[in-house]
Amino acid sequence: MVLPLVLPMLMGFTFDPAPGLFRTKARSRHFECERMTAERGTQLRPGQVREARPRGDFVGRSVVVCTERLLRRGLRVERDEAILSALSQRADDVASAASALRPDLRRRTWLVDTHYGDSEVAAKISFATKNALMSQGLPVSDRVPMLGAGDVAVLTRMEPAQAYVAACQRYYAAGSMGDDEALLAVVSRDPRETVLHAGLCTRGQWTWLR
Amino acid sequence: MKISGLAVAALLASGTASAGAVEDAQVAELDRLRGEVAGQVHLAAYDLVDELVYRWTQQPIFESPTPVVLAGVTVPVGLGTGIGALLENHVAGVLGANPTTQIQLVHCPACTAVVVHSAAENTVVSRGYDNPAVLEQLGTQTGQHALFIDVEAEGTWLVLRARITQLTPELPIVWSHTLTTSAGTPALLREASDLKSAEEARREYLDALNSRGPVTVPVRFVVRSYARPTEETGTPPPPFLWLQTGAELSVSEGGAWTTSLLAGFSFIPQAYQGLMAQARVSRLVTSRVRSQTHPDLYLFAGAAVMNVWGPATQPFQEERLTADELIVNLDEELDPRFSFGALHVGADLRVGSRVGFSAFLENLPSLARSKNMGEYTNIFGIGFQSLGTEVTVCF
Repeated sequence: MVLPLVLPMLMGFTFDPAPGLFRTKARSRHFECERMTAERGTQLRPGQVREARPRGDFVGRSVVVCTERLLRRGLRVERDEAILSALSQRADDVASAASALRPDLRRRTWLVDTHYGDSEVAAKISFATKNALMSQGLPVSDRVPMLGAGDVAVLTRMEPAQAYVAACQRYYAAGSMGDDEALLAVVSRDPRETVLHAGLCTRGQWTWLR
Repeated sequence: MKISGLAVAALLASGTASAGAVEDAQVAELDRLRGEVAGQVHLAAYDLVDELVYRWTQQPIFESPTPVVLAGVTVPVGLGTGIGALLENHVAGVLGANPTTQIQLVHCPACTAVVVHSAAENTVVSRGYDNPAVLEQLGTQTGQHALFIDVEAEGTWLVLRARITQLTPELPIVWSHTLTTSAGTPALLREASDLKSAEEARREYLDALNSRGPVTVPVRFVVRSYARPTEETGTPPPPFLWLQTGAELSVSEGGAWTTSLLAGFSFIPQAYQGLMAQARVSRLVTSRVRSQTHPDLYLFAGAAVMNVWGPATQPFQEERLTADELIVNLDEELDPRFSFGALHVGADLRVGSRVGFSAFLENLPSLARSKNMGEYTNIFGIGFQSLGTEVTVCF
């Protein structure tokens, strides 16, 4: 007799993102959950979260909004996933650091170059960084400074810490970068880390920003 | 030694083969997952493109129609190029349908091709739009603009970045923008030729969802049939036809839970007549809110009270009804009357929240021991003597 009454509610549990009868732990890990007030939940999920009564609810209510990640784990290389899942935040951090630490360069044209193991991911980092710089109100160019084959052959044999300094000097000396340009380099210095470093090259002078 | 060496070699070979099979299975599973994710992502990506173009219609970047090369559309890493082609077509389609954006997409093969430029100082390999000086030498019109679009999945967010670069040697970026949408946000599916803002589209969706308010009036045509008794001698009631109407109330947002209270009557001349009242609670199981585009499946449970009378209602008695009794009663023009309760469970398929098709099993507690009725099925000791089908039209 009880089953027909509880069956609809049991079916409701199929939407519950917590691990249990209808969902494995591995599946639950695909969700990112956030607790918020009922008012905020109503704003974000109209039609799904009941609005507070005009005179308030009898009991305090909060809402846990769980959203499934777009790409399941395993579809991308772990390191790429770590970088890309917070790309906007990383790009904003780099752009903010550049504009805040060097306010004297606001009139320069900013170039962006990314050094990352995977070219597809590197292009996305560059794209995000350029947009972040533009949102800071800085003039940005799509141009990337270039080096001759001889320069590249020498630089690839140097220690990374020295190579960035030397490359910056060569950009300026070879005329690939002008006086009114600033190069923001986003660098992954170690293939084991998921931190993006930023360096600045202006008039042949290299500076690590972060 | 030779034999054992061969055996080891064979074992190694079989191990390699099974490892290869496992890898193939993993690759196939990854491909399947990628396809599934791409299917989910592409509508959200379409939404972002629609929003981007809508903003251009509201605030054009250029004052007059300007030729722009669609230089590149990149999609989330790991999803392949199929979705990229879909997205590129959608960008072109929406821009073509909205000339007020002042953006005229132009074809420029040299811009997207890889070009090799060799001069005294260096040799440069690049795509055409990265090297406008080479484009000029190739005779391509310079000073055009290039549109770059990138879509990336960042956790639960889909992010679209766009920038427009002027194809001059300095390659200045003249405009850029970033838009995001959550994975849990339903796609707005805006019409390309009549773009609306996200807020307007969302309001329209909710208006449609709640168009008839929380109360609807269903009119339901029901057929109840009763199981034959296991003993051959009993006579089951004939199928009962009912016409019901009343009120159905959505007790939660989006119609996830509904209750209904209906009254019904039945009238077949010279056979039976009846009155009934029924209450029901339904739970939507295919989604969290009613859908305007897909059928909704509800599971329901309820109770009913029926009062029936007429010559054909005699089988609702507990004692066995024989053919002789039936003939005698007809001759005496008796008008037997029975009242009984019923509990039912079933499923209701609603299409567009307007038409419903449902089926249910019903338990008649007071007639559980009736000699005139059997059971269609017995679940956890509960016998269901009646099977019903319904067609509902909601107003």
